Amino acid sequence: MNDKPPLHEAEQVWSPYIPDERMPWNLARVVHLHRRAGFAATSSEIQRDLKDGPKTSIEHLLSGKARDASVPTDFERVAGLLAEAAVSAGDPTRLKAWWVYRLLFGPDPLGERLALMWHHHFATSNAKVDDLAAMRRQNELFRALGRKPFAELLTAVVRDPAVLIWLDAPANRKEHPNENLGRELMELFTLGVGNYSENDVKDAARALTGWTVEDGEFQEIAGRHDDGDKTILGKKGAWKGEDLLKILLEYPATARRLAVRLGKQFFGEGALDKSGLDALADLLRRNNLHIDLAVETILRSRAFFAEKNLRSRVFGPVEYVVCAVRALEMLESSPSTVALADWMALLGQDLFYPPNVFGWPGGRRWINTRSVVGRANFAAALVGGNGLGEPLDALKLVGRHHRGGSVVEAIDFYSELLLGTSPTPAFSERLHKALGGTATLVAETARRIVVLILASPEAQLG
Amino acid sequence: MFSRRDFLSRAALVALAPTVPGFLARSVRAATPRREGRVLIVVQLGGGNDGLNTVVPFKDEGYLKNRKVLRLPENRLLKIDDKTAFHPALDDAMKLFQSKRLAIVQGVGYPNPSRSHDVSMAVWQTARTDTEEHKGNGWLGRALDADASPLLFVGTTELPAALRGRRSSGSVLSRLEEFHLVGDAAAVRTMASPLTPNPSPPKGREGRQEDDLLAFVQRSFLDAFTTCDRLAEVARARDSGANYPSTGLANRLQLIARLLKTDFAARVFYTAQDGYDTHAAQLPTHANLLRELGGALRAFLDDLAASHLAERVAVLVFSEFGRQVRENAGAGTDHGTAAPVFLAGSRVQNGLVGTAPNLLDLVGNAPKMTMDFRRVYATVLEEWLGLPSKDALGGTYERLPLFGK
Repeated sequence: MNDKPPLHEAEQVWSPYIPDERMPWNLARVVHLHRRAGFAATSSEIQRDLKDGPKTSIEHLLSGKARDASVPTDFERVAGLLAEAAVSAGDPTRLKAWWVYRLLFGPDPLGERLALMWHHHFATSNAKVDDLAAMRRQNELFRALGRKPFAELLTAVVRDPAVLIWLDAPANRKEHPNENLGRELMELFTLGVGNYSENDVKDAARALTGWTVEDGEFQEIAGRHDDGDKTILGKKGAWKGEDLLKILLEYPATARRLAVRLGKQFFGEGALDKSGLDALADLLRRNNLHIDLAVETILRSRAFFAEKNLRSRVFGPVEYVVCAVRALEMLESSPSTVALADWMALLGQDLFYPPNVFGWPGGRRWINTRSVVGRANFAAALVGGNGLGEPLDALKLVGRHHRGGSVVEAIDFYSELLLGTSPTPAFSERLHKALGGTATLVAETARRIVVLILASPEAQLG
Repeated sequence: MFSRRDFLSRAALVALAPTVPGFLARSVRAATPRREGRVLIVVQLGGGNDGLNTVVPFKDEGYLKNRKVLRLPENRLLKIDDKTAFHPALDDAMKLFQSKRLAIVQGVGYPNPSRSHDVSMAVWQTARTDTEEHKGNGWLGRALDADASPLLFVGTTELPAALRGRRSSGSVLSRLEEFHLVGDAAAVRTMASPLTPNPSPPKGREGRQEDDLLAFVQRSFLDAFTTCDRLAEVARARDSGANYPSTGLANRLQLIARLLKTDFAARVFYTAQDGYDTHAAQLPTHANLLRELGGALRAFLDDLAASHLAERVAVLVFSEFGRQVRENAGAGTDHGTAAPVFLAGSRVQNGLVGTAPNLLDLVGNAPKMTMDFRRVYATVLEEWLGLPSKDALGGTYERLPLFGK
């Protein structure tokens, strides 16, 4: 007798991944986990996770323990000093470098990835805010609250100087409302377009009148607040800013929008269908929009490890750059974080300077003439040490992981490390042709192999 | 009109579009003239250009009375009509005018003008006079929001506010080297060579998304390399004999011309020439700046004409303000108000537009504007780019006769 109720369709989509013959726990899935949910793994980390199995490996990633000995013991202290120095010097380049340091050396790549997602979601640019202390403070909110129930994050971020300045809250007063914050709060931070009317925007702006920044802190100035009745999403009352947030958080479209946001983060093209998104939205709605719960559900799911989710997403510049440095273990004498941040900007993702309120267009739009040339040139610069620091000793890295000394073996090693797969015959053929039929593996050949793999179309997907 | 054979060959190429590099396919589409093919180039003169010594009202009593050291001798001026003339260093602009490629809009400014560089530049860039709105989006960014078009700033500073949009994406290009593959270029290209079609995909992988996406990336790589080759080729061909002076502005316009020749996808290109803040010893500095401006504009338009691209391009030249009428004690001029705006290109209606301010009727030693700059913008947006201007400019502005039929 089987008296268990049949699995709800939604639950089926998010049923946990248990390795089987069709979906074995293998190199491809370990590399996928780290490239999609962290910032790539080193060869030893990959080997460790292959042994540990999915449950433990995912657990490590969720709890900030996925990185091996490379995390400096005084990481938080150093990071704090870097941020403070950047802010007091008023140098945006150094604040970008601070974040790159966190991405490369921090213990919690998943947390950093989510911080990056929220930077995109609440896309705020220092081009307008022009206040590094405020930008850093916002960034720390993404890190501290990015995995909590969404209400905590939303409330903190919209009542924080960076977003308030970015979206003209100080100009939004009873006598002359400014709709900027109200509109983006609805369209971008919560509901998404199509779920509200222009009247909702007007009244949301009225509810937000009086919110401003004074002496670098959020202030609510009663004298500037319009305390008349407002109708927002069909609810009528003398709403204030905090009431508006409550209304928006309760509205079903918000859960759905967050599901879409997380879906774009953890799934590639066509890897998550409508029923999956609906189920994720439902899960969020039933659980107080708890981001961590949703993230854990995703990472533990069959859907996340499904064949069609592997290598089905275009890497963004930050992912591309950081994953390369991490996987190649260029951490002891790491490349200049300032230079790495510059490369990210050149490739189209300038940290703290998203192009507009929509954040970075992303997906296939990461790939264009400049970025293609830029990525290939970055690979050459990183490996050759050109303007970035020490060149990569690609031959030594192969040896350190006890792999053989032939060209074929080096190709296998780097293909597995950087792409999560043994080279297909076609890929090998192209690589050999590109190498020009080199027979012996010398340091330079090993370096060329790395550059060519990183500069291949295959390496742009993750 | 094109012949049937032309049509067929074009149709054949379009049909092949998925397999030919994207830029080729785009060029084929671009062979049919269409409004979308039109491009606007903005040249921003930073610092506040002395409009009175650019387009000189040499008979104006106010000019003669207030300009002593800085008065340009009438016999050296390049006459536009019996009371208006170009600065002698603008001989290239004069040639554009004589070949009917230059409109000069006179006395352009805005009400209650600010004489602060930052504020006035923000007014021009955002098309908003309220300083509360100056941190917001720019006139071009807003205008191109509808289709999220790309806008490109060619220069080394950060993206100008004019190109900030809610949806459109402005980017900065500093150097042509960004299109140059360094190091192992041939090998990198080999890695992107066409994927061998796999006759029997491994089991369980049929129709996988990765294959489509990978094919897209691989195609984009080939596309990118082809565009780079084309840029290099254009550079090698010495720009069909174009003769650019070796100045900063000429270099930037030449880069824009090269991008246009490779059908680079941007509808607006923006660049700047700085140094116009001539508070002292203005004469030599200003002459050099104007020579650089005129020379660069003419070389650019001649180059495009030789490449049959001139019809697609209009160039707008503006500065954040003009300068005061009475010169200062240091043989320079201080911040002023209205000044002329240029519009150059083969589709431009040549000539003087509007009326020159009366230089005997001044406010704080500066001319009163006779033309709102948003009328120029409205005309450029509506009639050149075919875009609605109301939201971009925050109101409806009467258009000007700036473009020919």
